[in-house]
Amino acid sequence: MVAAHAEHHDVHHASAQGPRSPLGWILAAGYIRCLWTIPMMFGVGVGIMALVRWLEGWGPIWNGSIVTTLSLITIPLGFLGGIGAFDFWGRYCFGQPTEVDDHKSHGAKDWRGYFRVNTDHKVIGVQYVGTTIIFFMIGGLLAMIFRAELAQPGTQIVDTQTFNGLISVHAALMIFLFIVPVFAGLGNYVIPLMIGAPDMAFPKLNALSFWLLPMAGIMMVSSFLVPGGAFATGWTSYPPLADHQPLGQVFFNMGVQWAGASSIMTALNFLVTIITMRAPGMTFWRMPLLVWANFTTSLLVVFATPFIAGAQFFVAFDRVMHTHFFDPAHGGYPLGYQHIFWFYSHPAVYIMILPGFGIISEILSVMSRKPIFGYRLMAMSLMGILVLGFSVWAHHMFVAGMAGWLRVPMMLTTMLIAVPTGIKVFSWIATIWNGKITLNTPMLMSLGFLSMFLLGGLSGIYLGNVAIDIHAAETYFVVAHLHYVLFGGSVFTIYAGIYYWFPKMTGRMYSERLGKIHFWLTFVAFNLTFFPMHWLGLQGMPRRVADYAPEYGNWNLFISISSFALGASTLVFLYNMINSWVRGPKAPGNPWRALTLEWLVTSPPPLFNFEQIPTVVGHPYEYGVKGAQHAILNGPTTGTPAKVGAH
Amino acid sequence: MRKNKQFIHVAMIAIVLGAIAAAVAYFGNWLPAPASREAGRIWFNFWAATIVSIVIFAVVSAAIIYSVIKFRAAPDDDSDGPSVHGHTRLEIAWTIIPTIIVVLLSVASAIVLHENSKAGPNPVKIQGIAQQYAFAFKYENGVQSGILRLPLGRHAALRLTALDVIHAFWVPDFGQKQDMVPGQTMTLVVTPTRLGTYPLICSHLCGLGHSIMRTSAIVMEPAAFEKWLADQKTALAGPPGEAGKTVFTNNGCAACHAFTAAGATGAVGPSLDDLSASATAAGQPLEDFIRESIVAPNKVAAKGYPANVMPQTFAQLPKDQLDALVTYIAENGKGGS
Repeated sequence: MVAAHAEHHDVHHASAQGPRSPLGWILAAGYIRCLWTIPMMFGVGVGIMALVRWLEGWGPIWNGSIVTTLSLITIPLGFLGGIGAFDFWGRYCFGQPTEVDDHKSHGAKDWRGYFRVNTDHKVIGVQYVGTTIIFFMIGGLLAMIFRAELAQPGTQIVDTQTFNGLISVHAALMIFLFIVPVFAGLGNYVIPLMIGAPDMAFPKLNALSFWLLPMAGIMMVSSFLVPGGAFATGWTSYPPLADHQPLGQVFFNMGVQWAGASSIMTALNFLVTIITMRAPGMTFWRMPLLVWANFTTSLLVVFATPFIAGAQFFVAFDRVMHTHFFDPAHGGYPLGYQHIFWFYSHPAVYIMILPGFGIISEILSVMSRKPIFGYRLMAMSLMGILVLGFSVWAHHMFVAGMAGWLRVPMMLTTMLIAVPTGIKVFSWIATIWNGKITLNTPMLMSLGFLSMFLLGGLSGIYLGNVAIDIHAAETYFVVAHLHYVLFGGSVFTIYAGIYYWFPKMTGRMYSERLGKIHFWLTFVAFNLTFFPMHWLGLQGMPRRVADYAPEYGNWNLFISISSFALGASTLVFLYNMINSWVRGPKAPGNPWRALTLEWLVTSPPPLFNFEQIPTVVGHPYEYGVKGAQHAILNGPTTGTPAKVGAH
Repeated sequence: MRKNKQFIHVAMIAIVLGAIAAAVAYFGNWLPAPASREAGRIWFNFWAATIVSIVIFAVVSAAIIYSVIKFRAAPDDDSDGPSVHGHTRLEIAWTIIPTIIVVLLSVASAIVLHENSKAGPNPVKIQGIAQQYAFAFKYENGVQSGILRLPLGRHAALRLTALDVIHAFWVPDFGQKQDMVPGQTMTLVVTPTRLGTYPLICSHLCGLGHSIMRTSAIVMEPAAFEKWLADQKTALAGPPGEAGKTVFTNNGCAACHAFTAAGATGAVGPSLDDLSASATAAGQPLEDFIRESIVAPNKVAAKGYPANVMPQTFAQLPKDQLDALVTYIAENGKGGS
């Protein structure tokens, strides 16, 4: 079968890469085509502006800030068209011949395959993870710069507007370009394999949703280059301040649109894939918890993300179209923004942690050689978080001046969401209890997550408590809390997941020794950086300040030094990943002796994942049960790739 | 028997961890000493949550640490653990017990919230107005001040709003905080219980000058507070020189500017000691130049000082107070240096 696949694909590639005329080079999908599609689309944006302004009789015809705003929509479209993200649909619309089972953009034969539009979920997964780690590094470097500024009271390195830009871009990158999409990337790689599917339900949509992401990231980073500097209103970007900021603000408003669209498309893809493409026998109650977690997360994404998209459009309209959604001088309502924003951004907190919960459930069970404790309650608690997650948003607004009566009900729902979360923590501990624990890097990262997320959850009890929140809101206590849940929580699960599936993704083993060094450096430096922030906040240091009262100087210096150590710890990770990918020892198909489906195939998996359709015959975590199997691979063969691709 | 032994070991680790956490809670620099009745109630909630947190932290961490030490597989041990799938009674317990705990904490919090929003029958009424990047507090007799002064032991009802973007009122020692939102007015109650001067901070990102948007809240003996209010009223009605000095002090000019006549040494903005050269450079008479610099500070920003840092709030000063301030700076500047 393997030979048949290879042969089939060689034929395809040969026909696609026949001799090309010079015109062919310019018209073929790729970066060369971008060279003319981007200017063309920029021209379209300018044309729309000029036409409207000319028809309305507004002068001057050229308005730099409007051109910029429009270009943030048209240029990415030009790029996407250039690299060929729309080619299939374009041909279809213009009546040209299309091949439904066209696999010529599927899979990567060499490194170039990762730099073009690719419909293979495994390639897309790696593209996602690679891209998001780059933005993780950039976001971390920005943090290093503002921590250097904060090392001493007073202003030494950057002016205050730049400082506000640094913290805003740091947060926006970490949230929209790292934590949210890296989970989409890991899920992209693992979910189809876990449910026994040959790919995602919509491979072309999958490719498109990846390519939207670098657009959003480049937009946010490049906002430093425009006059007035980067957007400087925090990642929350509250109006009316955001209405009156320099041009960089638009780069946030529009960047969020691209990242959000990417997120929504992927979520829809996950939902359809999980609902329709499970292998025979894979009932919902036989799905691994990571699949459950991605299912729940995707529901959150499709319901919630349109709200932040709307909120950012309204701010952009206030800026360029003279609407007054949030301008109180013209009857706008500033708190309206906050309600819409947090109606997404609180569920987003769960979008940023539920996939991590899934990863942890896989690893703890495998590395302890025990079934996950309370499987059904684990799945139901995800659903509980999903439902409750939509009823707690206003706890971000306890001091914002919203309707007073909302505080107590929102506090109650907020506190109650600790219950399903607590169920998960207790069940994980019961899972490792009495197990046969192997303390390798994924397991260390998982245990690091468990202990740090516990601390983040406990500081959440203070912030959910209205009375305490009135004192602690808008301070470094919040900064400490959010880093304990997003770094101590999400980032540790991301590291755990990357180490865990690294052998599957690359076919190589990583260095266990470097992995452990990475864990301990990160774990210690993380706590030294963020724990003292609890004290600073409660003592009276507000967040998002470029300067602070001199009495906080010592702790800030301590935090800055620790944060540099934390930054340095990622270098160990990067070295380990790159070096092991290039020259690590070959990985076996199932190095962890795990039961879930992705470990039943080779590392890396074949082009269409399974040469035989797996039949699921039992639960995914039956460790210690004699003779138990999750799936068997003696079902009908999958036939030619052409038929598989028809999904 | 083995179960009992495990339980005792975990309990012992939990007690050690709990003791360490309690020591961190006790010796750590957590909260400022409360300076208001409201803060006292909030601190009570804080410590209640802390006790709950210490217990949860100790028990959960002890279970993790014990598992990692005790249940390690030997390097050549490929066997699996026991196939325990769940334990219904245990699962019900760890659903219901946390529910009860968080509901109790919420009830305590709701009671404190209710108590903390009561202004009592006879509060001092003060209007607080925020603008980039300064606060202004207006008292019932028309006196306006950049520094908040409050009488000890009496409810103060602060009516808070903002003129441009969202700001926030926060005095950490009072424990009370409220965003100041343009277009709406929110009431915040503070009942000071300790004499002293406390930092008053804008805690909501409001633009490039956010981190310098700070002033003070001064708690005074009630009699001293009444006398201060009356004196201000009188001083403002007095000769421009003296009234000007009062306006200068009340509006916190000293926080940013050096001015020898008022004993001010601020270094955020330019010195006000000799402005005649700047006035000449701007081609304006001294008094006009000073007035313009106060009401429209961005028109001519002094060399080396960025625009948009000085608040434009002062344009709101009543005309007589503004006149007095201009006269005061013009008359006392020349001899100052």
